[in-house]
Amino acid sequence: MFRTTLQRTVPCIRLVVAPGQFRLNSNAPAPPSKLEVFIDDKKVLVDPGTTVLQAAALAGVEIPRFCYHERLAVAGNCRMCLVEVERSPKPVAACAMPVMNGWKIKTNSELTRKAREGVMEFLLMNHPLDCPICDQGGECDLQDQSMAFGSDRSRFVDIDYSGKRAVEDKDIGPLVKTIMTRCIHCTRCIRFASEVAGVDDLGTTGRGSDMQVGTYIEKMFLSELSGNVIDLCPVGALTSKPYSFSARPWETRKTDSVDVLDALGSNIVVSTRAGDVMRILPRLNEDINEEWLSDKSRFSYDGLKRQRLITPLVKDNKGNLVPVEWEDALVATSRALINANGNIVGVSGGLSDAESMIALKDLLNRLGSEQLYTEEPFPMTGSGTDFRSSYILNSSISGLEQADLVLLIGTNPRYEAPLLNTRIRKSYVHNDLEIALLGPKVDLSYDYEYLGESPAILKDLAEKRHAFYAKLSKAKRPVIILGAQQFEREDGAILLAQAQQLSQELNKNADKGWKILNVLQQVAGQVAALDLGYKPYNNLPAAKVLYLLGADNESLTKCKPAGTTVIYQGHHGDAGAAIADIVLPGAAYTEKQATYVNTEGRAQQTLMAVQPPGMARSDWKIIRAISEFVGVKLPYDTLNEVRDRLTDVCPSMTRYGDLEPANYLVQASDLAKDLSSQTVSTPLNVKQITLEDFYMTDSISRSSPTMAKCIQAVRKQKESKYYESRA
Amino acid sequence: MNGSALVRSNLVVKGHGGAIGLPSLAFKNVLQTRQNTTAAAPPPELKASYGNLSDSDRIFTNLYGRHDWQLKGALKRGDWYKTKEILIKGTDYIINEVKTSGLRGRGGAGFPTGMKWSFMNKPSDGRPKYLVVNADEGEPGTCKDREIMRHDPHKLIEGCLVAGRAMGACAAYIYIRGEFYNEASNLQQAICEAYQAGLIGKNACNSGYDFDVFVHRGAGAYICGEETALIESLEGKQGKPRLKPPFPADVGVFGCPTTVSNVETVAVAPTICRRGGAWFLGLGRPRNSGTKLFNISGHVNNPCTVEEEMSIPLKELIERHAGGIIGGWDNLLAVIPGGSSTPLIPKHVCETAIMDFDGLVAAQTSLGTAALIVMNKQTDIVKAIARLIMFYKHESCGQCTPCREGINWMNKIMYRFVDGQAQSSEIDMLWEISKQIEGHTICALGDGAAWPVQGLIRHFRPELECRMKKYQEQNEKQALSN
Amino acid sequence: MNNIFPFNKFITGFNIIKANGGPLNAFKKLFRHDELKIGTLVGTDEMGNRYYENNTYFYGRNRWVEYNDQVYLDYDASQITAEWYGWIHYKTDLLPYNDPNRPKYKWMAKHTENETGTERQYVPYSTMPPKIQAWVPPNKN
Repeated sequence: MFRTTLQRTVPCIRLVVAPGQFRLNSNAPAPPSKLEVFIDDKKVLVDPGTTVLQAAALAGVEIPRFCYHERLAVAGNCRMCLVEVERSPKPVAACAMPVMNGWKIKTNSELTRKAREGVMEFLLMNHPLDCPICDQGGECDLQDQSMAFGSDRSRFVDIDYSGKRAVEDKDIGPLVKTIMTRCIHCTRCIRFASEVAGVDDLGTTGRGSDMQVGTYIEKMFLSELSGNVIDLCPVGALTSKPYSFSARPWETRKTDSVDVLDALGSNIVVSTRAGDVMRILPRLNEDINEEWLSDKSRFSYDGLKRQRLITPLVKDNKGNLVPVEWEDALVATSRALINANGNIVGVSGGLSDAESMIALKDLLNRLGSEQLYTEEPFPMTGSGTDFRSSYILNSSISGLEQADLVLLIGTNPRYEAPLLNTRIRKSYVHNDLEIALLGPKVDLSYDYEYLGESPAILKDLAEKRHAFYAKLSKAKRPVIILGAQQFEREDGAILLAQAQQLSQELNKNADKGWKILNVLQQVAGQVAALDLGYKPYNNLPAAKVLYLLGADNESLTKCKPAGTTVIYQGHHGDAGAAIADIVLPGAAYTEKQATYVNTEGRAQQTLMAVQPPGMARSDWKIIRAISEFVGVKLPYDTLNEVRDRLTDVCPSMTRYGDLEPANYLVQASDLAKDLSSQTVSTPLNVKQITLEDFYMTDSISRSSPTMAKCIQAVRKQKESKYYESRA
Repeated sequence: MNGSALVRSNLVVKGHGGAIGLPSLAFKNVLQTRQNTTAAAPPPELKASYGNLSDSDRIFTNLYGRHDWQLKGALKRGDWYKTKEILIKGTDYIINEVKTSGLRGRGGAGFPTGMKWSFMNKPSDGRPKYLVVNADEGEPGTCKDREIMRHDPHKLIEGCLVAGRAMGACAAYIYIRGEFYNEASNLQQAICEAYQAGLIGKNACNSGYDFDVFVHRGAGAYICGEETALIESLEGKQGKPRLKPPFPADVGVFGCPTTVSNVETVAVAPTICRRGGAWFLGLGRPRNSGTKLFNISGHVNNPCTVEEEMSIPLKELIERHAGGIIGGWDNLLAVIPGGSSTPLIPKHVCETAIMDFDGLVAAQTSLGTAALIVMNKQTDIVKAIARLIMFYKHESCGQCTPCREGINWMNKIMYRFVDGQAQSSEIDMLWEISKQIEGHTICALGDGAAWPVQGLIRHFRPELECRMKKYQEQNEKQALSN
Repeated sequence: MNNIFPFNKFITGFNIIKANGGPLNAFKKLFRHDELKIGTLVGTDEMGNRYYENNTYFYGRNRWVEYNDQVYLDYDASQITAEWYGWIHYKTDLLPYNDPNRPKYKWMAKHTENETGTERQYVPYSTMPPKIQAWVPPNKN
C-alpha cells in the first residue's frame, strides 16, 4: 500500500520508476542529458532530476538540513535548506526542488543566510535549551547548525511571558528514549518507520504548534530496526535508553568493527570509554548495512559485560569448576589432549573467528584428529560443502536490489537478517520487487505471495508443477533464498537439492551471469568455518575429548557422551561452559582483531575496541599456547603469521571488504541430482517467527539485560487489547 | 508579492516565483505573462465606470435562493441549456472560450483559468485525469461558494462537466467543507437529479462523454482548502500540503493528473461557453474581466453577497450594495478587501481602491476571494488582527517550521500588542518575523498569516505605539502608587 | 697546627666510635643510619626508639633518633611516636616526660606507624559495580 503513495509523492523516486515523466507532461523538447547549473558561480553538470541539494553537494557545498535524509523520502518541511536561486523572488527548498538548466544557485547570499537564520530562530523558539543534560549534546545537528547558521542572540522575549511549548514524553519501548519537547518535527523517524522498517507505528497527531510525533496510542515501537531512529533524529528527542546519561561523544574512543550477531556482518563503530563498551553505532557500508543496524546488534553490547568467562576454570575432584591460573588450565588441557590419543572432536560455534578456527584445526590435525565440525548443520550428501556456492548468499546483499522476484524458502529474513530484509523491502518499495514465501506465514513488513509451508511445494516448483512456477520462470533476475536452518531437518539435503534444481531451471530464462540460489546463514562464523574445511555437524561421533570453540548449541550440549572430557573455549558462560570440564576464557568480538566472513562470502575484520576482561585472551593465542604445552608447536606467533596461514588455506579470507563470488552452481546442482529420497512431510518451520524470538539468539544477546527487557516489552505489548498481529 | 492573496485554491503556479522548477518552457511563458499582468501599470480604462451590473449580465441568478434550486428551477434559469453542444464542440473550444473570457481563478490567486485547464491537455500516459473542485471555503469572511452550492448547485455540476470535458477528466471530486451540511446535501441532491436526468454519468447529456461527479465532505480544516492538502485529504491522509513540484497537473489526486479549481471558477464556465468569452471579457477592466461574487461583511448596514462587475470601486460597492458603513463613510476605519489573509487597507486607501486583481495590488493588498471585511472606528483593530492570527495559528498544519513556530510566535506577540505590553522595537521584530514566514513555507498559509500583520504594521503603527505607551504609563503609575 | 695536621678531627672521630660501642658497632650503626653521631640519650619511647641530643651540632642536626634495633633497616619517620614528634621537630624544647601539659588518657590508641605500602595498608573499597560480571559455574553440591 505504501509503495504506490511513495512513488507518486517523491519526485526522485518517480523518476526512477518512470523516467521521462516530467517530459511527458510538457511540450518542451527533451532535456539535454546533463543540466548545467551554477552553485555559487561554480559550474556543475548534473543529471536531470537532481535536486538543488544534490547539485550543491557535487560542487562541494553542503546545504544545512534537518528533515532531508538521502535514504528517506523527501519531506521538505524543515525549511532549513532554503537557498536563493537567481531571478526567483523567494528562496527554494533545496532538498525537494529539481534543478533546471542554467540555474544560478546562491548558497551563501544575503537572502539565503537570512532565510536560514529565520528558520533557525523558529526552531529554537520552542526547543528547550537543555543541551547540558541532553544526550545528543556534541553530536546534535541543531547544536551544530545553530552555531553555523543561527543568530548570535535571542530575541524571543516571550520566554518571559508565555514560555516555551512542552510536550509529554512517550514510552515507545526499552530501546528508544523520547524527550518530545526537543522534537523539531522533521518526521525523519516517521518516514524511517514507514519506509525502511515497514511499520506504520509512528506518525503525527495534532496540527500546528500542537503537532506531536508519536505512536497515536500509547504503545511500543515494535520494530527490529527501532534503534535507527536514534541516529536519524537530528536533535535529542529520540535517544538511546540504555546509553542515556552514560557518556559524551567526545569522551569515547571509536573503533571500527564488524557485527557478529547475525550472518550479515554489519559494519559498526564501537564507542568505548575507559575500557568499557559504551555503545555500538552503525558504520556506512553500502554493500551490507547501508547505514542501518538491527536492534540486536546495536543494543546487546551490555551482554558483553554479563556472564563472562574471566578466568580459566577446571573441574576439581568434587566435580565443580574452580578458577585456576592459566598454567594449570593449559596443563590440564594438554594432558587431556595428549591422553585422547588423537580421538578428539572439535566443534566451532557461531561466533568463532577464522583465526581461532584455523589454529584449532591445525592443532587437532597435528594431534591426529580430522574431526572438526561446525555447530550449524549442512547436508553433506551430493557436493556437500565442496562448492562454496552451495552455502553462501550468491547474489550478494546489495545485488538483491536488482532482483525482480524473490522466493524465500524456510526463512524469516526480517528477524534472521533484518538488514537483508530492508534491502528486499527497499526493492519492494522502489523497484516493484515481487516476493513469495514458502514456510511459516510471518510478517515480513511487505506483501508477499504465500505459497504454503509444506516442503512438497518446493518439489512441485522444482518439477514445474506448481502454479507459481509460471511467474518464477518469467523472472529475469529471480532470487531463491533458502534459510540455513532448514538443514537441521532430516530432509535438508533434499530441500537444498530441489532448490538447486529449481534455480538451474530458472537459470535458462534468467539474465546471463545472474545467480539465483542463495543460502542465508544464521551465524557469523559459519561461512568462514566451511571455507576453512570444517565439516558441518550432523551427528557427533564419540570422542575422548570434545573441544568446543564457542559452541553453545543446546542439541550439541545435551548429547554429551559420558566419559568425554569437554574443553570449552569461549567468552560467555552459556550451555557450552556448563557441561565443560575445562573452561578457557576467550575474547568476544569487540575484544579481538579477528576475521569473519559474512553470509555473502565477504571477509571482514573486527578490531580490538577493549581489552578482553580479566584473564581472558584472544582465542587463537590460547590455542597457540595449548599447542606449545602439548608439544606440537603451531608455526605462528603473531596475528600476521596466522593470517598468512589463513591466506594459504583460503586466499579470499584476508582480502578484507572484498566480496568473493562463488561459481560452480551448476556442478553443485548436478552432483545433487541423484538424490531421490523423499522429503519429510512436516511443514517448514523457522525459529524466529515473532519479534520476541529475535532478541536472544546467541550467547551475547542471551546475556544482555536490554534484550531481556525488549522481550518483556514485546510480550506486554502483545497483551494489550490494541495489539494487532500483522502476520 | 505580486498579486496573489492567500492561495487557497486555484493555484497551479504560485503567484510569486512558483514557476521555478516547472520543467517545460510552456510553463515559463506562463509565468512571464502572469508576471506581466500583475506587475505592469494599471490596465487601460475602456469604460467610464464599472459596476452596477445589469441583471441580464448576472450569472448566478438564484444567488439569494428566491427560486427553486433543484433541477426544474435550474432548467428554467437556463442551466443545462445546450450543454451537449458545448461538450461536442470539444476541449479546444471550451478552453478557447475560457481563455478569451480572461477568466481568472476565483479562489484567491487569480491564475488565468484557461491556461490552467490547458495544462491538462498533454498526451495521455494512460492515467485518468481528474477535476477537483475546491469547495472547502474556509476563509474567514468568504461566503460565496456556499451560496452557489446551496442555491445554484446545478451551475456547479454543469461547470464540472464542462471543465472536465475541457481537460479530458473522467470524474470530478467536489471537496466540500465539512461544516457546509446543507450545502453538501443540496449539492448531493442536485447530483442525483443530474444523474437521473442523464446529464452526468455515462454518456453525459448524450454527448458520448462519460463523466462522474462525487462529493467528498471535509472534516473542517482550513488548510484543506490548499490544493495539495485538499488532494491529500481527498486521498484519505492528513490534510497537509505537498511539496511542489510535482504539481497536481503532473501528479495529483491518486497519483493522476489533476486540476483543482474553485467552485465559482467552475460554475461560471458553462455561462461563459454559452454566452461567449467576449461577453465575459467585456465586463471589468482588461485582465480583470468578468463578474464576481463579492461578500461584504462587518460593520456595514446590510452585509450581503452580491454578484458585481469586476473593477467596481470599493466605495461604490459598499455604498450601493451593503447600505454603507455603520455610522457613515467617515466612520470607516479599515477594510480587509479579500478575505482574512489579505492585508487591510485604511480609509484613505479605500476611497480610491478598485475591486479587481490589479487595482488592489496597487493598494498593496490583494483581491483574494473578494470577501470584504469592513471595520468601522469602533473596532479594536489590533485585537481584530490578533484574532485572525490566532485563527491561522490554530489552522496551521504544523508541517513546516516557519508556519508552525512563526505563527505561534506572532500570535503571542499580537496578543501582547493588544494590551500594549511590549516595547516599540518589537513592532520591527514582528515585521521581520512575518517576513521570515512569508515565502518560506510549503504552502501559502504562512503568507496568508503574515500579510494581515504586515498590513496592520504598515497602516496602524502609531496605534500600536500609542497602546504601548499607555501601558507603560499605567504600569509606572501603578508602581508609584504601590 | 690543626690546619696542617687535623689531630682534633681524629680525636673526635675516635670519640664517636668509642661512644658508639667500638669499631664494629660503629660500622653497623653507620651502615644502618648512614650517619655516626655522638650525643646524649635524652629518652626512649614506647616503640623502643632512642632520642639523642647534642647541641654542638648546629640547629636542625642537634636532635636525632635511632630507631629500635629490631626494625633494622625498615625504619620510617612515622615510627616516631606522637609524644616525641613535637620535640624532634623542634615544635617544643620540652621533653615529653618533662612537659606538664601532656594529657594521658586510657582511651588513647597505641602509636602505629604508617602502613602504606605494606600488606596491612588501608585500601578503600570500591563503590562501583564491577564492569564485568563473571559467570559463576553451577555448583554441583
